[in-house]
Amino acid sequence: MKMADGSTILRRNRPGTKSKDFCRWPDEPLEEMDSTLAVQQYIQQLIKRDPSNVELILTMPEAQDEGVWKYEHLRQFCMELNGLAVRLQKECSPSTCTQMTATDQWIFLCAAHKTPKECPAIDYTRHTLDGAACLLNSNKYFPSRVSIKESSVTKLGSVCRRVYRIFSHAYFHHRRIFDEFEAETYLCHRFTHFVTKYNLMSKENLIVPINVGENAAPGESEA
Amino acid sequence: MGTNSGATAGINNKPVGGAGGAGVLGGGGVGGANSSIGGVLSNSLGGGGSGGLSISGLNAGGQNANVGGLIGVGGMGNVGGDDGGNGMVGGGPNNQQATTPQYTIPGILHFIQHEWSRFELERSQWDVDRAELQARIAMLLGERKCLESLKSDLTRRIKMLEYALRQERAKFYRLKYGTDPPQLNEFKPSNEDAGLAGEVATDSEVPYSSVSNTTWRQGRQMLRQYLAEIGYTDNIIDVRSNRVRSILGLNNNAEHDGSGGGLGGGLGSGTGGENLSPNINGNESNKRASETEGRHTPAKKVQQSIDEIIVDTEAAVMANFEFLGATEMSDDDEISDDLEMVATDNDDTDVKMAKRAKSGKDMLTEDLEADVGEQLLNDMNLMTEEVDGSLGLGELAQLTVNNESDGAYDANSKDGSGGSAGGAGYRKTWNAKYTLRSHFDGVRSLIFHPEEPVLITASEDHTLKLWNLQKTVQAKKSASLDVEPLYTFRAHTGPVLCLGMSSSGETCYSGGLDGNIECWQLPSPNIDPYDCYDPNVHSGTLEGHTDAVWGLTTMQSNIVSCSADGTVKLWSPYNKEPLLRTYTASEAEGAPSSVDFVRNEVDHIVVAYNSAHCIVYDTETGKQVVRLEAAQEMSGNTGKFINKVVSHPTLPITITAHEDRHIRFWDNTSGTLVHSMVAHLEPVTSLAVDAHGLYLLSGSHDCSIRLWNLDNKTCVQEITAHRKKFDESIFDVAFHATKPYIASAGADGLAKVFV
Repeated sequence: MKMADGSTILRRNRPGTKSKDFCRWPDEPLEEMDSTLAVQQYIQQLIKRDPSNVELILTMPEAQDEGVWKYEHLRQFCMELNGLAVRLQKECSPSTCTQMTATDQWIFLCAAHKTPKECPAIDYTRHTLDGAACLLNSNKYFPSRVSIKESSVTKLGSVCRRVYRIFSHAYFHHRRIFDEFEAETYLCHRFTHFVTKYNLMSKENLIVPINVGENAAPGESEA
Repeated sequence: MGTNSGATAGINNKPVGGAGGAGVLGGGGVGGANSSIGGVLSNSLGGGGSGGLSISGLNAGGQNANVGGLIGVGGMGNVGGDDGGNGMVGGGPNNQQATTPQYTIPGILHFIQHEWSRFELERSQWDVDRAELQARIAMLLGERKCLESLKSDLTRRIKMLEYALRQERAKFYRLKYGTDPPQLNEFKPSNEDAGLAGEVATDSEVPYSSVSNTTWRQGRQMLRQYLAEIGYTDNIIDVRSNRVRSILGLNNNAEHDGSGGGLGGGLGSGTGGENLSPNINGNESNKRASETEGRHTPAKKVQQSIDEIIVDTEAAVMANFEFLGATEMSDDDEISDDLEMVATDNDDTDVKMAKRAKSGKDMLTEDLEADVGEQLLNDMNLMTEEVDGSLGLGELAQLTVNNESDGAYDANSKDGSGGSAGGAGYRKTWNAKYTLRSHFDGVRSLIFHPEEPVLITASEDHTLKLWNLQKTVQAKKSASLDVEPLYTFRAHTGPVLCLGMSSSGETCYSGGLDGNIECWQLPSPNIDPYDCYDPNVHSGTLEGHTDAVWGLTTMQSNIVSCSADGTVKLWSPYNKEPLLRTYTASEAEGAPSSVDFVRNEVDHIVVAYNSAHCIVYDTETGKQVVRLEAAQEMSGNTGKFINKVVSHPTLPITITAHEDRHIRFWDNTSGTLVHSMVAHLEPVTSLAVDAHGLYLLSGSHDCSIRLWNLDNKTCVQEITAHRKKFDESIFDVAFHATKPYIASAGADGLAKVFV
């Protein structure tokens, strides 16, 4: 976006940038990114370009460490889920949703506490996101964003399972919010596809009816 | 009862008859508080003069006329002629007072009481004035004496160095020719020596003043304690030093020779305004001055105290000092205990320096370092360099550097004593202590609580987080000095770009890419991170901007924000109509990029625009007050883009951080560029000034933060703090207002706190 001098492209959001110009700069090929945050940059760049192109966003570049790839994607999911939480805050109150439920089948207990607790849905949402933020930024489990320990990669699955419940709660209890949010971000789409692709959650847990097959079909031909 | 009767009598506001007039005149004089009363009284006396009345000080008739008017009592007019001094209430009609109003005794009493209290008030005011002036005289006297004693101190040092040099030369001579040099023990240096000594003195002028700075710093701190004891609080001292700083600020950056040249200049710029504080303490400085003067006058006595120490410690050294002769031990008795402390301290240094000089074939910095205190060490280092400098006659550049850092120490120690910031006060090196990791994306802004060790960060991940540095949540998922956030503020639907906090620390405001400003009530800093959701934390949204809000700053209950929609808005967040005013510049200026309140001028804000100009607005009138621009400097302003503007907390100075790697300083009154410096390797993105206005912190996309001494605009410390994401690195820096914390926020999603 910012052309400073000659051919150098400086990818900066200077103060005063209009919101439509935020992060609007020419894509940078992953191989040219020399930052330790290259994967995040790359993923965000793809999402910025077209959030609906879930398949492309989830296509792992060659020679990419899969652990890092999954980790950075999960960070991005949790980050974008803040948007859903903001919307839910307005509507989902402890009086209307006293428990974290999706279908009537399960009541989810909040794992953020010493002993799992039956938090109201909004608290569950916030605690889960806060806990995920702490875990994914933990110096102990994820000290580096360039390489991830194998033991830590296993943590990603449980984070996925927990944050997925936010989608499912929104879908079953706050459908309008869910639909609006999904139309903008394709986040549940992308998430479902992500966990399926990397086998982070079992299929029977994916209760939000997203037609993965439809989106996945062209993807599978590539992959 | 004289007054009473007088009052009763004193109802005539004009002297009656010729005799009366004479009486009035006879008593004429200025009697302070009583004079007017006297005037009133005496009027009644008529021909009798002032015989019966004790109060005879008179004012002019005109004032009496006033009095009559005030009293407003009629019919009591007194022809006091016959009554003489009795002060009897004359019932007779007063033909000259046809218009005189009725007088009543209570009315008169009331009047007199009133007048009395008024005079009392005036008198006490006068007393206060007098005390102030006296204090000022004492101050100025002390100031003079300080300078005198400084001069003598310097002279003493020069003598010492001359001596050291002679010793060196002698040694050199011995080593080279194997014989004692001629004239070794003569006190009067040979012509050659004299010439060299002179040379040394001139060459080392700068280091001399810096050494004395160190000495003065000790003395100053001590005097500051005395002052505190006698009730001169830091505030008063600060006011004075601020004044001096502002004076110095005018000939900004003039460094040593600029502000008065030579000795005075060194004193002024090196040690700031604090030199003045000792002066208040008359006694001490008197004693000290007389003492030093006593030493000073006979040149030989300069070394007397050194000799005294030497007697105690090293006879050999003493032998070397013999030529300095006369040790007047009796002088010491005159020195008060407190001063002895100071003196001993200094002398100690001097002796060490003397030893050094004596054995100083080479640079002997290391071996002595072990056994001397830090402060002394500092002295010594400077001293060594002096010696070396004078011997080698060079290295001035190095000395300058040292001077600068010396100034930094100075300001630092001042900072330590001024704020609650602890610290032994000497060199403060900031070290990263806390890493705040919990954001998923770049941290755009951070702000400290005004009192608590608490801060808030705002990130591109759409959230704000609250951190308590005292609650390093050791638990489950974090390593040692990581801090876990206590609370996550969610309301923005896009990246959060800027933060502000109320002066009470109860409320904070955040501006986002979504164009909204959210208002938050801070949860308790001891909240459980996984507590229930309290919707009241989010206490409102200020809607009005139609594009990203990039700048936000607070002053008392108001906040001012700037947005990519081209406007700057002033808000009073909890009003019914929160938006107070909108300021819009011409199209040519582009969008505002940053905004700050002008801290030393109420109702002024300074706004930086894309055009690389700053404009100061009056918030009340909405008028442009001054435009900060420098034609030649800013010509072709592409790339000079301003990333951040801050106002100096006490001086009329605006500081701007530029895309072209510069930090620039502007004079708010004239709108001119005061100083410009290349500060970083890449664009400067953020600035913060500490609460005392002594230090500037800057952050840049070159991944480093730098701490600057505002006095001499030198970099005190550089810390590499963050990593790059795209071409961005550091977004914000901050000072804690009352605690020794600084912090930086980076594009890598981390915030760091340094102590």
